[in-house]
Amino acid sequence: MDWSIVIDGFFTALEPMNMVWLLFGALLGTIVGILPGLGPATGVAVLIPLTFGVNPVSALILMSSIYYGALFGGSRSSILINTPGDGSSIAATFDGYPMTLKGQAGQAMSIAAMASLFGGIMAIFGFIFLAIPLAQFALNFGPAEYLMLFLFTLSAVVALSTGKMIKGFVAMFAGLAISTIGIDLQSGVHRFTFGVPHFTDGINFIVIIIGIYALGEVLYNMFPKKKGQQPSNQHIGSKWFTKEQWKRSMGPIFRSGPLGFFLGVLPGSGGTISSLLAYSTEKQLSKRKNEFGKGAVEGLVAPESANSSAAVGSLIPMLTMGIPGSGTTAVMLGALVMIGITPGPLLFENSPDLVWTLINSMFIGNILLVMINILMVGMLIKVLRTPANVLYPIVLVLSFIGAYTLGYSTIDFYLLIIAGLVGLFMRVLDYPVAPLILALIIGGEMEQNMRRASIIYESPQAIFFASPIATTLFFLTLLSLSYPLILRLFKKRQDTNSNASM
Amino acid sequence: MHVVRFTMPLFFIVLSVAYGMLIIQLPQATLGDPMAPFYFPIAICIGLFLFAVIDLVQVVKKKEHQYEEDVALLVRKSTIKTIAVIVTMCVVYTLMFEYTGFLLSTILFLAMLLFYLNGKRKWVMNVLVTGIVSISAWFIFSYLLEISLPGFGG
Repeated sequence: MDWSIVIDGFFTALEPMNMVWLLFGALLGTIVGILPGLGPATGVAVLIPLTFGVNPVSALILMSSIYYGALFGGSRSSILINTPGDGSSIAATFDGYPMTLKGQAGQAMSIAAMASLFGGIMAIFGFIFLAIPLAQFALNFGPAEYLMLFLFTLSAVVALSTGKMIKGFVAMFAGLAISTIGIDLQSGVHRFTFGVPHFTDGINFIVIIIGIYALGEVLYNMFPKKKGQQPSNQHIGSKWFTKEQWKRSMGPIFRSGPLGFFLGVLPGSGGTISSLLAYSTEKQLSKRKNEFGKGAVEGLVAPESANSSAAVGSLIPMLTMGIPGSGTTAVMLGALVMIGITPGPLLFENSPDLVWTLINSMFIGNILLVMINILMVGMLIKVLRTPANVLYPIVLVLSFIGAYTLGYSTIDFYLLIIAGLVGLFMRVLDYPVAPLILALIIGGEMEQNMRRASIIYESPQAIFFASPIATTLFFLTLLSLSYPLILRLFKKRQDTNSNASM
Repeated sequence: MHVVRFTMPLFFIVLSVAYGMLIIQLPQATLGDPMAPFYFPIAICIGLFLFAVIDLVQVVKKKEHQYEEDVALLVRKSTIKTIAVIVTMCVVYTLMFEYTGFLLSTILFLAMLLFYLNGKRKWVMNVLVTGIVSISAWFIFSYLLEISLPGFGG
C-alpha cells in the first residue's frame, strides 16, 4: 500500500474548508438523528441539496459526516426517551433506556459515544487494509448464503430471549407476517394490501418501531405507578462513565466492532442486523446475562460499536462496486453520481485522493462527533428534567411527525397507534420485541433469497450445503437455537453433581 | 389468573387464522410457479399458529408470572380510562390531520393532551408548551428540512 496517498488524504481532510463541512455535517446529522423517524437515510436525503455546488471531496465529506452524525444522534433519543430514530439504534434502547431509568443517562450517552468512536476507528482501519478483498468476498454471497445469514440472525435474536423463546418465536413469526404485506417483487401479486395503494410498497418498519417503542412507552408510563414518575428525575448522574463501566465495555466494544464491520460490508445486512447480532452475541458471552435489558453497559456499547463500524463497512460495496448495501448508501450513491463521481473498482485507481480523504475525514469526524456528543450530554440531559406529563405529549407529537415524513400518509398514523397498543401489551405480558422488529426488517429480503435459492438448488439440503459459508451459517443457526437447551442441560447436570456430592 | 394474560396468545392465534384465510384468497402468480407467492406466507402462518398455541398452553399451565404487577396495574379502571382517552385523542388527531392541516391539528392535539394530563390549573404551562412545540416543529420540518406537511384544508 502506498501510504503517501493515505497521508495526503489526511492533510486534505484537515484543510479548513473540509473541516468546516465535517463539523457542519456532524452537527446537522446529530440533530436530524435525534428526531424520531429521521434516521441516516432520511437525513442524507433531506440534506443532499447542501452538497450542490460544493466540490466532490467536500460533498462526500459532508454526506458521510451527516451519515455518521445521524447514527450518533439516533442512539441519543433511544437512550433518553426510548424512541429509536431508525433500525440501527433499536438495540440502544434495550439497555440504554434502562440505564437512564437508573439515573445513568449521562454515563450511557458518553460511553455510547466512546463505543461508536472505537467501533468507527476499528472499521476505518479495516477499510484501509481490507476494502478490496472484502468487497470480493462479499460477492461470494449468493441467495443461499444470504438466506442462511438471515436465518442465523433471526435465530440468534430469538435465542437471546432467554426463558421466553416461545414468545420470541411468536414475535418473530408475527414480524415475518407483516413483512409479507405489499407487492410480491417476483410475481407482481398484491398480497394482503386490502386494496390500499399505500400498502403496495409494504409497511415501513420504522413506523412500527416508533409505534412499539415510543407510543408503547408513553402508554406504559400512564400506569398509576408510572404516572408522574420521571426517569430518575432527581438523580441524573454523572456525565462521565466510571472506570468500572469502561472496564466492562472494552471486550464488547472490541468484539462487536469487527463483527459490525464485516456485516456492514454485506449488502442488505447493515446497521440493524449488526447491532442486534452484536447485542445477542454479547448476551450469550456475558457472565451477567441477568443484567441485560436492565441497564447492562455491555448491552449498550456492543450494538453502538457494531452499528458505527457497519456504517463504514457499508461504504465498501458502494465505493468499490457501486452496490449500495443500505438505504443510506443508496441515497449517497445517487448523490455521488449526481455530482459526477462514479463509484466502482476504478474509483480507487482514478481518484485515490477522494477515497483516502473520505476515510481520513471519517476518522477525524468520529473524534469530532464524540466531542460534540459529550458536550451535548449536559444539554440533552435537560430533556429528562422536563416533567413526564409534558415530555410524553411532545414525544407523541414527534412520533406522529416522524411517521408522516416516512410515507406522507395518515394511514401510517393508524399503524402507529395499533403498533403502540401491541407494543404496550407485549411489554406488559413480557414478549420480546426485538425478534418482531428484526423479522419485519429482513422478512422481505429473506423471502426473495429463499425463492431464488429454491430455483437454483433442487432441495433444501442443497441450500444448507451450497457452500462453506452457507454450511457454517447453517450450523451456527442450529447452535444458537440449541444453545439455551444445552446450557440448561449443563446446569441441570451440574446441580445434580453438586447435590450428589453433598 | 386474570383474563388479560390470554390476550396476546389469543390475539396471535386469531391473527394466524385470519392470515391463513387471506392466504387462501391470494391470486396465483401469472409468471413462473403460480404458487410461489404462497409458500413463504404459508410457512409463517403455520409457525405463528403453532407457537401461539404453545404459548397459550404455557400461559394456562403457569400460575405465577413475572409480570403480575404490570397486569394488575393495567386492569385498573383508571389506567384503562387514561389509555382509552389518549388513544382516542390520537385517532381524532389522525382524522383531523389532513383536513385542518398540521399546525392547527397539532395545536389542538397537544392542548387536549396537556390539559387532560396536567389539568386546568397549569394552563399557562399547557398553553406555552403547545404553542412553542407546535410552531417550532412546524418551522423545523416545513422550513428548515423542507418536508411537506399538510396545510389548512388538506
